[in-house]
Amino acid sequence: MPVNKLKTMYFSVLLAFMSLLLPWSQAALVVRPDFMLLVLIFWLIRAPNLCNVGAAWMLGLLVDLAAGMVFGQYALAYTVTAFLAVTYQRRLVLFTGMQQLLYVFSLLMVAQLMLLIIKTFAGWQFSGWSYFLPSLSGVLLWWLAMGLGLNTGGRGRAN
Amino acid sequence: MARHLYNKIEQQQAPAFFVRGPSPLARLAFFSFLSLALMASDSRLQYLFSMRQSLQTLLHPLQLLANAPTQIYRNTAEYFSTHDRLLNENQQFKKRDLVQAIALQKLNLLAVENAHLRQLLGAQSVLKESSVAAEIMHVGRDPFSRKVLINRGQNHKILPGMAVVDAAGVIGQVTRVYPLSSEVTLITDTSLAMPVQIERNGLRAIAFGHGRDNTVDLPYLPANVDIKRGDKLVTSGIDGVYPAGMVVATVKQIVSAADAPFARIVCLPLAGVESHRQVLVVSKPHAVATGSPSLSQPVKLGLAQPVPANKKQARPSKPLTLKETHAR
Repeated sequence: MPVNKLKTMYFSVLLAFMSLLLPWSQAALVVRPDFMLLVLIFWLIRAPNLCNVGAAWMLGLLVDLAAGMVFGQYALAYTVTAFLAVTYQRRLVLFTGMQQLLYVFSLLMVAQLMLLIIKTFAGWQFSGWSYFLPSLSGVLLWWLAMGLGLNTGGRGRAN
Repeated sequence: MARHLYNKIEQQQAPAFFVRGPSPLARLAFFSFLSLALMASDSRLQYLFSMRQSLQTLLHPLQLLANAPTQIYRNTAEYFSTHDRLLNENQQFKKRDLVQAIALQKLNLLAVENAHLRQLLGAQSVLKESSVAAEIMHVGRDPFSRKVLINRGQNHKILPGMAVVDAAGVIGQVTRVYPLSSEVTLITDTSLAMPVQIERNGLRAIAFGHGRDNTVDLPYLPANVDIKRGDKLVTSGIDGVYPAGMVVATVKQIVSAADAPFARIVCLPLAGVESHRQVLVVSKPHAVATGSPSLSQPVKLGLAQPVPANKKQARPSKPLTLKETHAR
């Protein structure tokens, strides 16, 4: 079973990476959720023994490379997010669906805030609240996946 | 590898809930430090550029795969485009070709005359540039920095700093070159500045990208400057990067507040910064000593399509007018 899980994990990461590489444009680019981070959070919650802070760091580097940004930006943001996700992972079992959504939303926001801080250090100007739209669309996607029957852990599914 | 991992996981299975290797906090500290070190070495010391280049090359096939669906869709749409539309387009192209051919003849004459005048003046060199056609692969991943990736790179003799233009004007500048692709920073990006000239009166200024809503700013011009709505900005060419006289933008709005020393001038780029796919990468103009050009050996104009000028001259040039083509 774990090997199967491992395969699924690699496959889902590849899929997320491919959807990141798709030629997004204009409005879609602004609302596009961070697929990589969503997949990462999913595996951090479901299989923390397979996917941990180190994996988050690696995936972050991959995103840095694809985005053509300074190496380490996404890596740092993902690392911090993964740390928070792993720290509260055991408590998550008691969360209901709604609570889990809030939790995921806050994780996504943390990642974006980290990125914002790093970019601000690099001399980038905040460009309005639409910057946080990917978190919103990300949590919507999570909700949709839950509705479609994806087992994201937590009490909502266990019962 | 997988087998090994499997065994490891299997062994860990029972106590895994409690035993998880180094604590998350330790991991956080380690990887955060690593990220910070990477950021510092990448942005300040530029050690990682060759690594980025090679990794980007590895990524290239994946990128092509991701682009494939839209490519296929576009190709299919093109295939099924109606006969009528194609005919129309063809006719338009023919007309435009004719107009441009005539303009080019005049230009050729002017170029020769210019070369002669230069010789008379004792000026030694003219600027020449060569170009490579490229296609935009995708718009940048980060919606807040204006960058695009094009499908030509080191292997096609692209160098950082080259100007990128399309039929309507300047799009941007090549900032990073990978073996098979390169990154172009658009003129609307805040980090790009280019020397421009107002076409009407030759006033020089520097245009900065605005970054947010696809406009270009002209800062540091006094409030009483002679500039009007609709003025065209062209490259001045004094930077040695952009060929002189390429259209950049038109002035859209001028706000001169009483309390500010400078006017706020907002310009709209003319090139299809967001919409076109085909672009031209123009090399830095380099000085070439003028020989003694004659009409039989026309001066090669870098940007213009290499139209065989001799053939065009063989045509009856005078009686061929636009009206005639319309009549056909």
